[in-house]
Amino acid sequence: MNAAQFPAREPTDWTTDAMQRRIRARYRAEKRFRIYGLFAVLLSAGFLAFLLITMLSSGARGFTQTEIALPVDFAASDIFLEPAQLEGGDRDQLLAGADFQGLAEQTAIDAYGEDGTMLISNGAWLRLREAVADDPELLRREERIWVQASTEVDFAARGADGLHMTDERRAMIDRYAQLEADGNVRRGLSWTFLSSADSSDPTLVGIWGAFKGSLLTMIVTIALAFPVGVLAAVYLEEYAPKNRWTDLIEVSINNLAAVPSIIFGLLGLAVFINTFHLPRSAAIVGGLTLALMTMPVIVIAGRNAIKTVPPSIRDAALGVGASPVQVLTHHVLPLSLPGILTGTIIGMSRALGETAPLLLIGMRAFVPSPPSGFTDAATVLPVQIFLWSDELDPGFVEKTSAAIIVLLVFLLAMNGIAIWLRNKYEQRW
Amino acid sequence: MNDEIAAPATDRIAIPPETLKMTARDVDVFYGAKQAIEKVSIDIGMDHVTAFIGPSGCGKSTFLRTLNRMNDTIPIARVTGQIELDGENIYDASMDVVQLRARVGMVFQKPNPFPKSIFENVAYGPRIHGLSTSKAELEEIVEKSLVRAGLWDEVKDRLTESGTALSGGQQQRLCIARAIAVDPEVILMDEPCSALDPIATAKIEELIHELRGRYAIVIVTHNMQQAARVSQRTAFFHLGTLVEYGETSDLFTNPQKERTKDYITGRYG
Repeated sequence: MNAAQFPAREPTDWTTDAMQRRIRARYRAEKRFRIYGLFAVLLSAGFLAFLLITMLSSGARGFTQTEIALPVDFAASDIFLEPAQLEGGDRDQLLAGADFQGLAEQTAIDAYGEDGTMLISNGAWLRLREAVADDPELLRREERIWVQASTEVDFAARGADGLHMTDERRAMIDRYAQLEADGNVRRGLSWTFLSSADSSDPTLVGIWGAFKGSLLTMIVTIALAFPVGVLAAVYLEEYAPKNRWTDLIEVSINNLAAVPSIIFGLLGLAVFINTFHLPRSAAIVGGLTLALMTMPVIVIAGRNAIKTVPPSIRDAALGVGASPVQVLTHHVLPLSLPGILTGTIIGMSRALGETAPLLLIGMRAFVPSPPSGFTDAATVLPVQIFLWSDELDPGFVEKTSAAIIVLLVFLLAMNGIAIWLRNKYEQRW
Repeated sequence: MNDEIAAPATDRIAIPPETLKMTARDVDVFYGAKQAIEKVSIDIGMDHVTAFIGPSGCGKSTFLRTLNRMNDTIPIARVTGQIELDGENIYDASMDVVQLRARVGMVFQKPNPFPKSIFENVAYGPRIHGLSTSKAELEEIVEKSLVRAGLWDEVKDRLTESGTALSGGQQQRLCIARAIAVDPEVILMDEPCSALDPIATAKIEELIHELRGRYAIVIVTHNMQQAARVSQRTAFFHLGTLVEYGETSDLFTNPQKERTKDYITGRYG
């Protein structure tokens, strides 16, 4: 064939109507496409803003508490302890034997009338005991002690907004106004919430137990999943021969990353608790279970990151006489670290928010004191949120929201550290 | 072509034993079942720049990479025959490949500085081989290498900047500085100018002139003018075999083999 066989063509007229229409249609299509993108961004930003605003507005109150003053006359009370007795070694025992609960209830009745006990939290008497433990001299005199108010008072402090109003509630709001006028109530940041663990009374619950449980669990998870995941990725990329076995391993790891998390929970129960007899409900078992779940994500991200290191860098290092391990540790790993960290962020975020597998290994237990180590009974933030959201007492609603805020802050802090590390090691080519 | 059965291809070269650096005898290289290099025997002298020329795919780069065992990194590559550096077989089990690559340095086709500072690029080799005992000594090695690579004046005020921020020609000279920082005996250059513009190329060629005599230099090029400009000896490869090896001036003006003549006169390439 040669060019002469083709008929001669008219020169293209770029100014015809059809051409102009095509140009306009193209511009419209581009504009439309940009608007779709913008709309998607706005929609997701809107969802995020909605989530944050709802959480912050209802959760902020969870961090506060209402306190009520009790004028306690220790000297005239039924507590027959002398300050001198409390200097000795059996102090805790003596304090435990004394009826501070009765004293608190009696004082409330004396100060606020027949239904005075309704105004104070069930755990208010603990404050009296702590006060005496701190200062035994209190036993000789009368002292105004601030104790946690009951949920009813706490709600009355909020005013009439948004709640289903009953006569009792209306009465309580009026009563609160009176108490406030007399200076017998105050509101403030709840140290109880920040420093204690679960409780059946919403005025006494704290997030510290679940927070510490999450922290311990995450430490176990990252300590296991990160090194094992990175080493597995390095081996598969750098050393493993390419054969049927490595293909099989690769497929298995990819599938493992997609296994529903509850199945990992069953695995953890069967392996760590039933076979290795590790303690139930403990952070170490939770961490091990979540590590199993996080590892494949890190392996996959790590392999992809290692693959993107250009071969010319390996050649360069080998060319000046670096050993294979030096090539790996001096060049390949530092260059793939940002990618590995991205995978780690994704895996750890998923692990932090995971509830289902932890329920199976017993981390949904009622744990009234913060765990002091990896083998202590503990719960984690998402499980705590799940448990509180299930409670009937309306006082738990804002505690749940507050716990969600704590979880989100934990997540942001963890990701913030990882992103900071990633940016620190990111190299410009 | 009746030159196929002629005497060994190296017959036009007589390298005095005292300047002999590397020798290769009957080297075959296979990639899987495919033979890339067939029965190549060549002597490389200390005082000269040796150029390997030939059309694309003739095996000149493959053969170059056997000289410091860079082919080891390709799992399917297999090398047979004997290659000696100062009389030692480099494929012997007792030869440490890390030390070999320190003694036989390499510069690659595409400039490949590490994404680290200029100083770190040059200091890397001496550091991993423990060639300096103090920071001052290391700094001296870096300066000396950059001076020899003709880059010192351009970078002395910005040693902490990234090596990848330099221009292509500067990057390639940085790679040469990196190679000479470990004080090698032989430098292999695999088409070092193919990614560079003519001015940067001229600078590299000038540099090769200056480095001659201090190091045995072997350069692979597909540019015959470059081979003629920088080398004293030229080996012509074709289809995995060494066709002809001789003094550069001789080979270009008076090729003995028909294939060499066809190639340098531009019949194929």
